[in-house]
Amino acid sequence: MALPLTFAASILVTGLVGVAAERVCVKPLARASPLMTLLATLSLGLVIRESVLIFYPRGADPKPFPQLLPQGGFEVGGVAIRYESLVILGIGLAAMVAVDRVINRTKMGAAIRAVAQEPEAAQMMGVNLDRTVDATFFLGSGLAAVAGILSGLYYSEIHFIMGITGGVIGFSAAAIGGLGNVYGAIVGGLLFGVLQTTAAALIPRGSEFRDVVAFAVVMLFLVFKPSGILGEKSVERV
Amino acid sequence: MSHDLALVWLAEAAVFTLVVAGILAERPWALGATGAAIVAAGALVRFVPRLGTTLAGAFARRRPAALGAGVVLALALPLALRSSPYWTFVATLALLYVTIGQGLNLQIGTAGVINLAGAAFAGLGGYSVGLLTVAAGWPSWLAVLVGPWVAVAVGTILFVPILKTRGHYLALVTIAFVFIFNILMNNLEFTGGPQGIKNIPTLRLLGHAFTTKPVLAGVELPSHANFYYAALVMAGLTTWVLRRLHDSWLGLALNTLRDDEIAARCCGVSITRGKLLAFSIGNFFIGLGGAFYAVMVGFVSPPDFDFGYSLVMLSVIIIGGVDSIPGVVLGACLLVPLPERFRFLHEYRLLLYGVVIVVMLLYRPQGLWPAQVRRYR
Amino acid sequence: MSVSPSLLEVAGLTVRFGGLVALDGVDVVVAEGETVGVIGPNGSGKTTFFNALTGLLVPAAGEIVFLGRRLAGLEAHAIARLGIARTFQASRLCLALSVFDNILIGMHAGRRTGVVDFVVRRGRFLGEMRTAIERVSHLLALFNGDLPRRGFERVGQLPQIDRRRVEICRALAAEPKLLLLDEPSAGMNPEETAELMRDLQIVREEMPGLSVIIIEHDMFVIEGVSQRVVAFNYGRKIAEGSFAEIAGHEEVREAYLGKEAARA
Repeated sequence: MALPLTFAASILVTGLVGVAAERVCVKPLARASPLMTLLATLSLGLVIRESVLIFYPRGADPKPFPQLLPQGGFEVGGVAIRYESLVILGIGLAAMVAVDRVINRTKMGAAIRAVAQEPEAAQMMGVNLDRTVDATFFLGSGLAAVAGILSGLYYSEIHFIMGITGGVIGFSAAAIGGLGNVYGAIVGGLLFGVLQTTAAALIPRGSEFRDVVAFAVVMLFLVFKPSGILGEKSVERV
Repeated sequence: MSHDLALVWLAEAAVFTLVVAGILAERPWALGATGAAIVAAGALVRFVPRLGTTLAGAFARRRPAALGAGVVLALALPLALRSSPYWTFVATLALLYVTIGQGLNLQIGTAGVINLAGAAFAGLGGYSVGLLTVAAGWPSWLAVLVGPWVAVAVGTILFVPILKTRGHYLALVTIAFVFIFNILMNNLEFTGGPQGIKNIPTLRLLGHAFTTKPVLAGVELPSHANFYYAALVMAGLTTWVLRRLHDSWLGLALNTLRDDEIAARCCGVSITRGKLLAFSIGNFFIGLGGAFYAVMVGFVSPPDFDFGYSLVMLSVIIIGGVDSIPGVVLGACLLVPLPERFRFLHEYRLLLYGVVIVVMLLYRPQGLWPAQVRRYR
Repeated sequence: MSVSPSLLEVAGLTVRFGGLVALDGVDVVVAEGETVGVIGPNGSGKTTFFNALTGLLVPAAGEIVFLGRRLAGLEAHAIARLGIARTFQASRLCLALSVFDNILIGMHAGRRTGVVDFVVRRGRFLGEMRTAIERVSHLLALFNGDLPRRGFERVGQLPQIDRRRVEICRALAAEPKLLLLDEPSAGMNPEETAELMRDLQIVREEMPGLSVIIIEHDMFVIEGVSQRVVAFNYGRKIAEGSFAEIAGHEEVREAYLGKEAARA
């Protein structure tokens, strides 16, 4: 029973780490070029990964992750389905619905959307900018923690480097889905997963090259539909 | 004024002595004394205002003499370090990072094209050398000259369509590209998989093999000195070319499109052409660094070109000064040797690079040697 | 009045943002050497008009003919090279670059030296640059005799009015045939606005063949510099004529001058 509590604590702590990261290396750079923020957060990610590697006992080795999910599975029309895949799918969907609720149905969600569109106008309308940005980072980092836990449950092990591929894949999924759209991330994530699996199945030794194929498609998307599948074309003000 | 000349040469000799002493000092008291001298010298220049401006003025008035003396000292470095072949190797590595850093600085610093695939483009140069020499039997020097073009070609073909996209897309795609490059190198047959390519033949110029020990002024130097001098020529030429490109219509156009794309377009600057030029020229020098690395160490393997090295390259230009040509030289000469000098830091190397980038971005975003206004002289 | 050949002919220009029609069938003709004022309330499509002219926006319909050439399909930088230069409502200078650099970029399209000259035949490039900097200094001196001496300072160190001058110099450095000024007096106090009027007068005298389209909210500026005025409202051209005609125009008074007239 302690494990679910640990998970909840881990999500909470990761969310708070996200807020701290924002306070340390996003907000102070608000006036600088947005690319500086990107470089700073990427470097902070490096610092966190290296800290785990160096300071966690035997940090370079993969760590076993507790198996919680029901093992085994069943077969439908020749397709083997594992119970744990179903559970992970369910949790993922629930998380998406929850995010959608928060973004589209709550006051904080309205504030987040307002800040994303017009930070200055939102502030004049009485939105507390700092708190809203904090909330966004808490939410985003907490969700990343959920993804990390699910990944640990699925593979039964975790590794200090696992986050970076996950992060890049996550951004790619959001980008091909359409940034700024909750459902875009779902569509993009599914598409990415389908591409990986198809590549693994169709290409000889495809399981090694599945990320290559998926990223290649992401690059094509950025060329031909830079706004993503569900994204609105944004117009820059001159 | 001959005062100036004496001052310039004295300052350069002092820096050279401190660097060599800092590298070679073994006993704690010697190391401590050198450290104290370095701190004292830094503090003097920083906190005695007359001294700083006098030095700056002297260097400005005596540029050719300062450069000439600098070249002489750079040539003399392997002589001073001959008791420790390893340090000649480290110095060569720093010069490689100067070359790579100048290329990356044109992209990130001058044009604002965030390329986080530096490791992959260096890897393209390095692997090309490996394949051309080991598999195709080319002479090493030819492979080193051709390798960078592979980096340019791959970069141009893959990234031209994406160069136009705004914001963080390009940066993220370059990260993805490093991963793709690593997956491919690890799994393709012809690149040797995880073992990479071994036994790359060493450089041989005019009958002189780089494995033989050179003799300079009657003193026998370690064989790595061959690579040191070659890398010195390479880094020097690269810096010279990029200095001139930076102080030209090209550098001006790239700076303008970095700061304000819309203003640049309305002044007749083609964004696609500008970014493409910056990206291709930059990749050439990054690939050149990787190609040289391959012939220097004699093998290439996937871990030599993973994402961490992209961040090392990035920290070189951020600590030196974004868009600053001398800053890149300073950044490479500080960041590469320091973790080697303090071996206990070696384990924390990447961690420290990350901390350095964050701290510099927050507290000194212009770097240690900030970019100066273009003067067209 | 003599009829001079028209430099710019805009016919039926329409711009849409999604479902919103920002510019709706606008016709404007500008003759060589003429200054046309554009007025209209906020959001009436004035800046959108400039953005479409300079190729920053792709029009949904209509035609722009400049020097007898249709601009459809040309990118912004290609249009700029044909001889259309502009300033922006919110300053778009590169604050970290020098005053000279900010203006020299305007001459970038007319450069005669290339990469080989930058690196190997450096003398050629430096010679071209010396001439260019002399011209820039001459332009700067027209507005403020002190500015050429500050050429190698960063633009961020200049006061607001001098930055506006640098921006106008950047546009003029390109030797355009048509200059678009987007609300040059924005954010200025009355004294600064008076100085600006003087500056525009200098431009007129210095380059008599130059055509200008100027967007302004300040009616004194419009009255002072423009030979003809076009009024926009809700993306449509609602009136055109001399300042006096426009000032007396019923629809314009309703849309725009109503407030002004009440204040006067």
